[in-house]
Amino acid sequence: MQTFLNALFTGGSRGAIYALVALGLVLVWRGAGLINFAQMGQAMFSAYVASTLITKGFNYWVAFFAALIVGAILGAAIDILVIRPLKKKSGTAILGSPSMRDAIPVIASLGILGILQSVAGMIWAGSERGFPAPVSTVALKVGTNTMPFTFFDLFTIGVVILILIATSLFLSRTSVGLAMRASALNSEVARLSGIRTRSIRTLGWIISGAVASVAGLLVTPATNISPSSLDLILIIGFTACVIGGLDSLLGAVVGGFLLGFVIAFISAYDLPEDIFIAIFLILIGIMYVRPQGLFGSQVSRRV
Amino acid sequence: MLQIKNISVAYDSVQAVDQISFTAEKGRITTVIGANGAGKTTLLRTISGLITPKSGIITWSGREIQGMRAENIVRAGIAQAPEGHSVIAELTVEENIRMGALFRLRTNRADVSTAIAECYELFPRLHERKSQKAGTLSGGERQMLAISRALVSRPELLLLDEPSLGLAPLIVEQIIDTVSILCREKGLTVLLVEQNANTALAIADHGVLLALGKVVADMPAAQLRADESLRAAYLGY
Repeated sequence: MQTFLNALFTGGSRGAIYALVALGLVLVWRGAGLINFAQMGQAMFSAYVASTLITKGFNYWVAFFAALIVGAILGAAIDILVIRPLKKKSGTAILGSPSMRDAIPVIASLGILGILQSVAGMIWAGSERGFPAPVSTVALKVGTNTMPFTFFDLFTIGVVILILIATSLFLSRTSVGLAMRASALNSEVARLSGIRTRSIRTLGWIISGAVASVAGLLVTPATNISPSSLDLILIIGFTACVIGGLDSLLGAVVGGFLLGFVIAFISAYDLPEDIFIAIFLILIGIMYVRPQGLFGSQVSRRV
Repeated sequence: MLQIKNISVAYDSVQAVDQISFTAEKGRITTVIGANGAGKTTLLRTISGLITPKSGIITWSGREIQGMRAENIVRAGIAQAPEGHSVIAELTVEENIRMGALFRLRTNRADVSTAIAECYELFPRLHERKSQKAGTLSGGERQMLAISRALVSRPELLLLDEPSLGLAPLIVEQIIDTVSILCREKGLTVLLVEQNANTALAIADHGVLLALGKVVADMPAAQLRADESLRAAYLGY
């Protein structure tokens, strides 16, 4: 029973982080139509900034919000400095071909990941460093009973749920949210309606960068930071949003939690080596039954 | 007044629009007719800023607008209801209409609700269906929605791309009548692109006939309508 509860809560808090990563990927996908492989590089970079601020004696929350801002700025910079110019260049045969037009920005994002990792390595000398949690990471005690979760687990789940609610309210209730949805669904009609789709797309990158940075900060107390420490989380987060349906925020969240539980239960009851086999089987199974993902829209909007 | 001077547009190496010139007078309905592939839609997309012309000048209210971005063309007072009754199926009717007025929220918030209410008055069926997803609407309702979305931006020039396409004659008549009323009563300038030449020429003041990307006739609509040789040669009836 104890093992089960342990796995349940670990799965919940890890799943919450995967859900955030997946959410960040979906936000960029919906706006720009590409998977941003640099996302966790941005998060790693901002986690290093936060860690540096904390070692300089700043408060955790100052560092936390600084990391969000760094993540957001990196997101905007990637869109404005790399993706936009790439989209404009269609003069050559390779850049002009329809299949490459979609692939090139993705390859560029991988390149940015490499750059961020090496720059972080140069600045922080590639050292792994620990990272504090804002609240206790020791199992909670109620009376004499040790609970199967830590206060930090609850904090993580709470932060993630707060971000999810805020994001969905923003998208469904505000004018800018409507502009974001419209641009993602049909950018031509959006432009004819006077929506500045380029700026709206950049806003997607900004929110995505900030959200990914939160995921990075929440995961580092458990793993330490190094330039490549968040790569694995990106892969799981990416799988989560493919399972959930690339264009669905809800799907990203469900996919994230699903993988969190799968990983936690397999670690608890089976060998950790089996984790990736299980993830792979789930991915293939869902792709076979519902190629558009659990919550993805039936018709691809890019047709 | 919209003035088009020697506009040329090419896709890859195909000349879609070749040295087109004409004028759409203020407060009038000008129709651009022609067979499929004559370059009508390309011309409209060039005016609304979705396509940058290879050469030529488009003047709107004394200002050159060719090559301006579509989102700024709307701000200059030109709104397009695109071809194929284009609305966003996943958004509700109300969201689709509001979308056209988002850019005016900061400058004239009060008028946005007035403009939306006016659209509902114009097309009561949209009001009945305002919380429905636009994807559930019929073709005619979608066209009404596309026009409403264009109207809430308070345009001075309305570009309509084949509003009759695939619609029942009764609905076409209703939509065309509404457009005609908007023009006569509110002084809206309309540029109507149509394959259905008879319907378009019946309400238009001026007609421009395109064939293979070139202007072959530019005259009062009644005159164009009466010219049997032009009709036989280019419209096939």
